[in-house]
Amino acid sequence: MSGLMEYNGSAIVAMAGENCVGIASDTRHGIRQLQTVSCNRQKTFQVTDQCYVGLSGLATDVQTVSQLLNFRMKLFTLREERKMQPRMIGNMIASMLYEKRFGPYFTEPVVAGLDGEHKPYLCTFDFIGCLSTAEDFVVSGTTAEQLFGVCESFWRPGMNKDELFETLSQCLLSAADRDCLAGWGGVVHIITPDEIITKKLKGRMD
Amino acid sequence: MGTEAMFGLTGKDFVILAADGQAAYSIIRLKNDADKIWKVGNMLFGCSGPSADTANFMEFIEKNVKLNELRTGIPMSTKAAASFTRNELAHALRKGPFQADLLVAGVDNEGPSLYFMDYLASSVKVNKAAHGYGAMFTLGLMDRYWKPDLTEEEAIDIIKKCIKELETRFIVDLPGYKCKIVSKTGIKEVQL
Amino acid sequence: MAPVANPKTFCLDIKKTNEVLTAPKLMDFRKGTTTLGFVFQGGIIIAVDSRASMGSYIGSATVKKVIEINDFLLGTMAGGAADCSFWERHLNRLCRMHELREKERISVAAASKLLANIFWQYRGQGLSCGTMVAGWDKKGPSLYMVDDNGDRHKGNVFSVGSGSTFAYGVLDTGYSYDLTVEEAVELGRRSIYHATHRDGASGGVVRVYHAGEPSVGRSPVGTWDWKP
Repeated sequence: MSGLMEYNGSAIVAMAGENCVGIASDTRHGIRQLQTVSCNRQKTFQVTDQCYVGLSGLATDVQTVSQLLNFRMKLFTLREERKMQPRMIGNMIASMLYEKRFGPYFTEPVVAGLDGEHKPYLCTFDFIGCLSTAEDFVVSGTTAEQLFGVCESFWRPGMNKDELFETLSQCLLSAADRDCLAGWGGVVHIITPDEIITKKLKGRMD
Repeated sequence: MGTEAMFGLTGKDFVILAADGQAAYSIIRLKNDADKIWKVGNMLFGCSGPSADTANFMEFIEKNVKLNELRTGIPMSTKAAASFTRNELAHALRKGPFQADLLVAGVDNEGPSLYFMDYLASSVKVNKAAHGYGAMFTLGLMDRYWKPDLTEEEAIDIIKKCIKELETRFIVDLPGYKCKIVSKTGIKEVQL
Repeated sequence: MAPVANPKTFCLDIKKTNEVLTAPKLMDFRKGTTTLGFVFQGGIIIAVDSRASMGSYIGSATVKKVIEINDFLLGTMAGGAADCSFWERHLNRLCRMHELREKERISVAAASKLLANIFWQYRGQGLSCGTMVAGWDKKGPSLYMVDDNGDRHKGNVFSVGSGSTFAYGVLDTGYSYDLTVEEAVELGRRSIYHATHRDGASGGVVRVYHAGEPSVGRSPVGTWDWKP
């Protein structure tokens, strides 16, 4: 199991700010752990105008689950003519993952979004769909331990969107510098009530 | 990862693929002129792995890409073909996988594109790619000499460098390299 | 000796996962590396990366993997850091002893043979070393590759470590005996650089040494960090 979670390598982190929330991921795509194949792998996906999902783990399941999510979101909006709230997305992902309890998707998603009252919502899962929420930050991927360390030090309550971007970026880059399997560039999305700011990060390429 | 070498590069308005010609059975070389670069519509699919898997999978993909074109009247874009292939490979992964590593190359309205796909069915768009043990010897080299807007001569030169490197450093002598180029005007084989 | 039934294979036995009393990850220290060395008309170039990885964790990004055995000999380390640094320091002592006893410097061939003999003695006990010994003696510059099997090879171009295959690709195509010193330094640097990009276990900075004629001496000619 753990072998598959480390096959491609990934680092994903999401943080809450004051009326804003951010999610960041690295961009490496490796195979057999150590061989780097590309530096432009997408690991964060927009699911609604106020919510992103980050998918770490086995790249094939990252792609499959992202496509599946896309499909489920579209179907929901067609049927219900409203958008899903982040909390609902979290619960949907949990059941989607548990559906495959005995042949799981090897991916550990992270949900980051703003709810109806512009309140940040963050949650993460294990690969068979155990949901756990957090008020401050959530991490996922092969760099999880390192990310926990830096986020624990640098996260503080009430950050505005610029502070959030800076903290998120620095945490991602510092953590990835201590992981052989993630890095090679990054991407950060900051979700605010009126805009989504997406920036690419240059990172160490080794 | 097999004792094979397959690699490819994107150029200015073309994609070039090269693969060794070895078909192995246990420790026996069955033939040295195997063609591992398949023509699918107006695209090239490089496919390495056990020949049973690759042949079965590639024939399935080839026929379905053709079927799609007959049904819709629209040839598949490289992106669509790569996506379709990925889905089929991912589907197969959960019930006795195809042991097939792929490079998908084509030139369409979006320009030249090359997709890297391993047997676990994750696909990613790249400028240079390699599969098999050959990848370990050629990736660094291709990074060194690849540049945007590569001409055909320059690309062939890089391919030759890669093959030469494999001949000097890889303990297995892989025979019969085949090299093909796909561009807007069609597909051609290059004599190395 | 370890207080077990078979002390000789103790280090290998505790790596196993299917028995009681094992520590599978304990021995996974410092594995990924890219090092290279080549001989050319201007002497010898040694280039190395500086990453120390423990599993997928990066223990350090500023390790020194070139050991200056003495003023005329350089050693590189790949594999276990402790194994390499200890035995190359030990080699340093042996070389000095040779100098004092014989009143002349040890040849590169002899120095590398001393190291190879040590590895031969410890064969099968879990040492992990891939080293190059390079330097100048009466006969000129020479380069040897010595590993934990007791293998010892003389040659003009070597690369050792998990990223070596990537480095070889760049190195072989760019190598010629007639390179100028500047070209040679650049070739060494580029080879390591490309290897660190593709190999997850290699990285940090590139350290390049040039060992010229003994009058010129050996000198680290530069350390380069990756730049965007």
